[in-house]
Amino acid sequence: MKIAQTFSHIFKKENPLVIPICTVALALSFTQCGAKKEKASEKVTITFWHSFVASTIPALDDLIEQYESENPKVKIKAQYVPTGDALIQKLITAIQSSTAPDISWIHSDFLADLVDANAIYEMNYFVNGKNGLSQSEIEDIYPALLQYASLRKRLYCIPMEATNLALVYNVDMLKDEGCHPELAPSNWEELEEYAVKLTKDFNGDGKNDRIGFFLPIFPAAGPLSGWMVWQWIPYLWQAGGYIVSEDQSEVLYNSEAGVKALTLWKNIYNKLNLRTFTTDYDVAFASKLVAMAMDGPWNLPRFNRLLRNLNWSIAPLPKGPVKEATIAGGEYLVIFKQSDHPDEAWSFIKWIIRPDIQARWSMRSGYLPMRRSASDVPEFKEYLLRHPNFKVFVDQMEVAQVQRSLDYGALQVTRHIAEAIEEATLGGGDPQEALDKAAAKSNKVLQSIRRNVE
Amino acid sequence: MWNKFLQRKKPVIHPSAGTSGKNIFTALAFLSPTLVIFCTFILFPVFFSFYLSFHKWNMFSSDRAFIGFENYRRLFTDPEFWMVLKHTLVYTLGTVPLNMVIALLIALALNRRIAGKRFLRTAFFTPVIISPVAAALIWRWIYDPNFGLLNYFTGLFGLPSVNWLNDPNTAMIALIIMGVWKTVGINMVLFSAGLQGIPDNFYEAADIDGAGRWAKFWHITVPMLSPTTFFIMIMSMISSFQVFDIVYVLTSGGPLGATKVIVFYMYEYAFKFFEMGYASAVAYIFFAILAILTLLQVKFMKTRAGYRAI
Amino acid sequence: MNPDLQKSSRLFKDIIFHIIVYSLALVTIAPFIWMLLTSVKDIGDIFIYPPKWLPSKLHFENFSRAFQAAPFGRYYLNSIFVAVSVTLGQLFTCSMAAYAFARLQFKGRDILFYVFLGTMMIPYQVTMIPSFMVLYWLGWVDSYKAMIVPGLASAFGTFLLRQFFLTIPKELEEAAYIDGCSKFRVLWQIIIPLSKPALATLAIFTFMGTFNDFIWALIVVNSEHLRTVQLGLAVFRDRYVTDWDLLMAGSVMATLPILIVFFFAQKYFIKGITLSGIKG
Repeated sequence: MKIAQTFSHIFKKENPLVIPICTVALALSFTQCGAKKEKASEKVTITFWHSFVASTIPALDDLIEQYESENPKVKIKAQYVPTGDALIQKLITAIQSSTAPDISWIHSDFLADLVDANAIYEMNYFVNGKNGLSQSEIEDIYPALLQYASLRKRLYCIPMEATNLALVYNVDMLKDEGCHPELAPSNWEELEEYAVKLTKDFNGDGKNDRIGFFLPIFPAAGPLSGWMVWQWIPYLWQAGGYIVSEDQSEVLYNSEAGVKALTLWKNIYNKLNLRTFTTDYDVAFASKLVAMAMDGPWNLPRFNRLLRNLNWSIAPLPKGPVKEATIAGGEYLVIFKQSDHPDEAWSFIKWIIRPDIQARWSMRSGYLPMRRSASDVPEFKEYLLRHPNFKVFVDQMEVAQVQRSLDYGALQVTRHIAEAIEEATLGGGDPQEALDKAAAKSNKVLQSIRRNVE
Repeated sequence: MWNKFLQRKKPVIHPSAGTSGKNIFTALAFLSPTLVIFCTFILFPVFFSFYLSFHKWNMFSSDRAFIGFENYRRLFTDPEFWMVLKHTLVYTLGTVPLNMVIALLIALALNRRIAGKRFLRTAFFTPVIISPVAAALIWRWIYDPNFGLLNYFTGLFGLPSVNWLNDPNTAMIALIIMGVWKTVGINMVLFSAGLQGIPDNFYEAADIDGAGRWAKFWHITVPMLSPTTFFIMIMSMISSFQVFDIVYVLTSGGPLGATKVIVFYMYEYAFKFFEMGYASAVAYIFFAILAILTLLQVKFMKTRAGYRAI
Repeated sequence: MNPDLQKSSRLFKDIIFHIIVYSLALVTIAPFIWMLLTSVKDIGDIFIYPPKWLPSKLHFENFSRAFQAAPFGRYYLNSIFVAVSVTLGQLFTCSMAAYAFARLQFKGRDILFYVFLGTMMIPYQVTMIPSFMVLYWLGWVDSYKAMIVPGLASAFGTFLLRQFFLTIPKELEEAAYIDGCSKFRVLWQIIIPLSKPALATLAIFTFMGTFNDFIWALIVVNSEHLRTVQLGLAVFRDRYVTDWDLLMAGSVMATLPILIVFFFAQKYFIKGITLSGIKG
């Protein structure tokens, strides 16, 4: 009661200044709380932004611990950033507010924009510097990965690890249908054949209760559209095609090879009466709703837990009419120009790509080493023997390609391909027409960019 | 009779006691906390976005190229823009009336003698509480054509399974259903609050005069609820127009762009293609359209309700 | 009509009424129940077909696993601290501003109000980067201030309270003015007590909105010690991979505080507040 009286006494005189003063006082009080006490230290702190999932974090922590023990003057602060759009938004705001990290993961989606904004170092600055890499070291890195890390013929990032695409399948289901469980489908015909065989409608209600092959069809405008295109591209290559011409003047994905690849997908889509999953394939696979699917190595550690009730295995992607191919990916690291300690950041990166570190990291995280000599490390060789699934991925690195460099317009071209895939499968359109339509759009973009650049 | 009660209680603003000279000063005093924060964190960014709409900016760099009305011109000549506008209108027309009617019915039902009010209110509010992403993920499963809950349910009744999210014809309907589910709780709560503000004496007086339930509803509840109704209508329209989260997670604008709405289109240009200038232009045209629609609604309410609801 | 018949027909109507309302409530709450049940399922059980509601075995360890995947204890504290601060702040600022718009006469009042409304119509996705720039210029990036202060004013909250204040009969205030009360006192001692439903409503929405916010926290916070629960939950969703069991467990944990707040704030909706102060 007393407080109320005091209050009303203060405000009785209807002094209009009281409220603004209170507000300002409140606001000022805020400036006190949250003031960080920065302890001056001689240690150099390197911030490292990544999007490693929860299951990989222990491996990352180990890695950092080892580096810090070998380099006591350096502290690595690894901060998790949700991947995808969130990473983009965080990087944008970080760059604008000069709070960019020293090192970060990036996706090729926005590499070009980072370069245009002059936000990151050109890696050659470090590679050719005093603490750089020798020619043999550079050659040891899978060339496909370096090609992907370059833009306009300059190296802007360093791959931290590699990935590629393989087939994951349920061994028992294939056995039951009389397929070869050791080989899994080895070419396109077998892929289609097995996919159809393995698709079952157990209770005759017209709905398939098990899908033979999870064809990754996603909305072209959605966050998974790049993932869908990434999984289609190896088929394009296997048929002998390419996305874009060598001089980057026009797109080639609507060639005969492209039509073949898209027709394969369309046929599987129709034969399986695939009404696209809206759930993730891995959980469907774990629930025995899917017999075969494609995936990368990053899920292997998760699968040990997720799929423990299944008999599953990994096989290389089926061979195409012209050749064997899979697509390589990985996580790429950049160093920001805003960094206060670019040299220390580079030292960390250089350390990560050491063959023995790559071998250890790979064994613990499920990612693949980004250089060949990691496979020479004895523990790694042993590990491969004990983990045949993982070995499939490592072996596939020999046939893993990356897209030809597209210095400008890569995003739009990817989007157009995605739209073509969606149209031919979900939309029931003709593959040649869908691809031609997309190619027309892509070529228009390429030409207008060329004009602006020249 | 008891209507007179009503008329006497009309909330009309009389000139306040006190000299008018002090009015602005007093008003500022009350408004200052809000105004300070509002101008800094809301108004300024809004104007800055307007400024951006005349530029080309990829957000990573600090260079912003001035390009005049180019963004707006591009906007008006892009057929995709008109398509997404249409989709947004369809979504809004689908959700807002449905939402308001259901919410009002539930609020009225909960106002009566009914067992377990607290549980019921909480039950109807749970969709609002679940984070939009978690809710959209769950509904994505519910709508799954092969293994989802909804088709399983309809299958029990012998109905054919619908390819909810992948058929361009049904995708929007699926979105509307989920949209209404997610937001009906909000409006229910708002209507409930509004209903609580209607004094009991009115109803008692009407009872004494022998007024029936419908008469009471129409002559007491509806008019006294009109400020609340107005609020709900405006807010529902604004938030339906701005729908984004559930589209992003559920359909990502698909299938084949059938559910792409304006904010999704805008978001793509901002964070997928890194054209913040263009996205800002889209935002301002969006604002203009929404403002016009709101003004129309205000006029509509003004002419209908004798009350000063606005 | 026979009074017994009347009674039983009313009972019948009552039962039907209850059935309808409860069925609707059940349908509405079903996804939430599914979320609860899924949070204790084994991941292989979640998407089997036909869908199984009840878990075959209760996996309460999903919660501990989720909780350990990131420092959720700290995240919780942060989320609650921020949400409570913003809620209290908004109750304060919005009620004052709403009072000004509802009761005070001053030049430009209506225009200012429409400007308020107008800002709600600009999608936040384009204003969030500029808003962030403001924070940066103030030097508040990566701090509690950044999460709390921008939320202290709200066009939505002001609009909501203003509409409610408009329904309060003027007579009460007139009486107070005649007695020589200041405007502020009228607000504090008369309007506010009568507005409990609206204030409770605003409190719920603000608390929930702030607690569930992801994107603003994402861009203004870097440091681990400031992160909120929603940011923490993101770790269960990769671009291509979702840890459903952990995500559901985490989401249940994130939903509980709001449910509790809602359940208790409900007493302000229950009738009992009558404007009995109006005498002849």
